[in-house]
Amino acid sequence: MDRLVYVAMSGAKQLMEAQTLVSHNLANANTHGFRADLARFQASPVEGAGYPSRVNAVATGAGFDHSAGTLIATGRVLDLAVDGPGWIAVQAADGSEAYSRAGALNINGLGLLETRRGELVLGDNGPIAVPPYVELLVGGDGTVSVVPQGQGPETLAQVARIKLVNPDPAVIEKRTDGLVQMAEGGVADPDAGVKVVSGFLESSNVNLAEAMVSMIELARLFEVEVRMMRLADENATRAAELVQIN
Amino acid sequence: MDSLWVAKTGLEAQQTRMAVVSQNLANVNTTGYKRGRAIFEDLLYQNVVQAGGLTSQQTESPTGLNLGTGVRVVATDKQFTQGNLITTNNSFDVAIQGRGFFEILLPDGTQAYSRDGTFQLSPDGQLVTSSGYEISPAITIPTGAQAATIGIDGVVSVLLPGSPDPVQIGSLQLTDFVNPAGLQARGENLFLETVASGPPQPGTPGLNGLGTLVQGALETSNVNVVEELVNMIETQRAYEMSSRAIAASDEMLQYVTNNL
Repeated sequence: MDRLVYVAMSGAKQLMEAQTLVSHNLANANTHGFRADLARFQASPVEGAGYPSRVNAVATGAGFDHSAGTLIATGRVLDLAVDGPGWIAVQAADGSEAYSRAGALNINGLGLLETRRGELVLGDNGPIAVPPYVELLVGGDGTVSVVPQGQGPETLAQVARIKLVNPDPAVIEKRTDGLVQMAEGGVADPDAGVKVVSGFLESSNVNLAEAMVSMIELARLFEVEVRMMRLADENATRAAELVQIN
Repeated sequence: MDSLWVAKTGLEAQQTRMAVVSQNLANVNTTGYKRGRAIFEDLLYQNVVQAGGLTSQQTESPTGLNLGTGVRVVATDKQFTQGNLITTNNSFDVAIQGRGFFEILLPDGTQAYSRDGTFQLSPDGQLVTSSGYEISPAITIPTGAQAATIGIDGVVSVLLPGSPDPVQIGSLQLTDFVNPAGLQARGENLFLETVASGPPQPGTPGLNGLGTLVQGALETSNVNVVEELVNMIETQRAYEMSSRAIAASDEMLQYVTNNL
């Protein structure tokens, strides 16, 4: 059979994977601080003896969309949104430092500041312990200050400063748990230019219209690949008919 | 086909969020109710092509392909913002202005915590919740008492017939938690202590950052109807998008079956 059918098949398989990625983005259309994944197709010629007529398509990741989501007002003090570029440093489940933009924070039973997934939020000197407080404030540069329990508003005390980083988009990558890390390992330096706003959350940056269009496009391209497989089949049938002995 | 299952996680998560929104809207008039919020996270990513894998002896692939597997609801947390106070002039209605919970003794002897201050008197004169659970420490109003007064610091005093001086018969306490959002909602406007909430810290109302008590008032639900309606619209549209993704994947498979 014509090897066309294999080229079409690998194309269809890659399109299905791209469709999975689009579904993932659509499923996370309401996930705070989510960054849309991107993929592109790469030509991969089939090498070997003979004329290299076959070029397979291979879906490869192209990182993620770095554009900002919109800010949603929630009015909760511990909801932080990074305004503009930048990331909040957290301690991932494996103990390493990773970065997130999902700023719905919480104080756990031990008094430590953590994300809703249970990762500890890192300050300049490790995890941030918040003493029992009457009033808590988070400044634009990530400074956490509290009015301790049993004292008046004149005793506003600075607790720690949340580590905010702004590494070059080219040197960060998404981890398999959805957090972001330095691609080459190591940790990013704190950046005083990153701004957070308290009382807001950042929406997912998935562009719904774009995702829907690429979903339709991928579905149609898939049909083209299937049509090619059908044509290869018909070609083979015709060829078989020619050599048939009645 | 993965995209079907990925889109399914989207439907599930949105459905859970819709349940949270409905629960909030249904409790818009519940005294002391605290609104819930569904928090989403993206599920684990599958490494299809490893970034930096060798494509030949000298070259390596610059980017990998990580496919996400969808979304899930990681938490539905309660937001303990203050509700409005409405005046009822009922002497056993007590609202908390600020932090803190009333401690309630459940029939099984364990403690629960509530911000619903709609208290009643039991047949033997004890202060109980509308479900009939005693508050702790117990307050018993003597028979024949004329008027009961609850101060902002929780002191309960009554006037007895024939005596011009009010008699102090006990005081209401408030209990605070390091992380109120970690409390487990039990229903009946009650919350239970968990590891995440931290241990209960009882104290006198008005001291150590605890709220003060307001007699003759109740705290309304803190649900914001407009916000919930916007959440509902957002949820519904996201649900539609995910179901559209399922339809598209289905059509792709159908095309294969019909045309090959």
